[in-house]
Amino acid sequence: MKTRDEEQGCAGCKASSTPKWRQDFPIDWEGDHYVTRREMVKFLTLGSLLLASANWVTVVASKLLHRGSHVERLLGSASDLEKAGSMLFRYPTNDDPCIAVRTPEGNLVAYSQVCTHLSCAVVYDRTENGFFCPCHHGLFNLAGQPIAGPPTRPLPRVQLVQRGDQIFAVGMETL
Amino acid sequence: MSLRRQGTILFSAMLAFVGGAVVLQLWLLTVSVEALLSGAYKTLAPAAAGSSVLLLINAGLLRYVFRFDRDAQGE
Repeated sequence: MKTRDEEQGCAGCKASSTPKWRQDFPIDWEGDHYVTRREMVKFLTLGSLLLASANWVTVVASKLLHRGSHVERLLGSASDLEKAGSMLFRYPTNDDPCIAVRTPEGNLVAYSQVCTHLSCAVVYDRTENGFFCPCHHGLFNLAGQPIAGPPTRPLPRVQLVQRGDQIFAVGMETL
Repeated sequence: MSLRRQGTILFSAMLAFVGGAVVLQLWLLTVSVEALLSGAYKTLAPAAAGSSVLLLINAGLLRYVFRFDRDAQGE
């Protein structure tokens, strides 16, 4: 009685215990997919190059974003600020809400209104003498430093100049 | 210990070091992107410099691998 290998015309298959399809397609997949340590080091170094490049891209992007933050913009009159207690404005672009207040010591300060926790808008809280974020009860003092709640980073400060009765924003201080 | 086994251990250690450096660079990149989005620009340049130092170390090790292979083929 003939075996199956003999019927399929593969007399040597039994001896070598290799299926006939393997002999017809002698591709060594394991060897083909094998990655040596040298190849892995080369691959990782290429990845390292890409990651370092991406880091420098963030530096260039920050320069481009920061470029527009030194324009001068008229915010309003100091007398209006005295009446209202605080003044909302947008600086350096119309997408960046900011808030200006007169401190009890008489200093004029302004900060980004975007909370450094999760970007809610902070409001001036006269009783707490600071900026309050209603979303998660974060609190910043009038120096912009976080003093309560979840925020850990200070509010970006807007540089102001007062000429006569008029207040101008002249730049943003980076953190 | 045979020379071949020493070489295997050496290349394994180098691979582990380069892998660790790449993970560190990945962490530096995530920190940089977070700092960029939050406006904390002062941390970006030191992070990029640190990432570049790690790249130089990795490139130095890769150069050693190339020289090692070239010397081995020359013998």
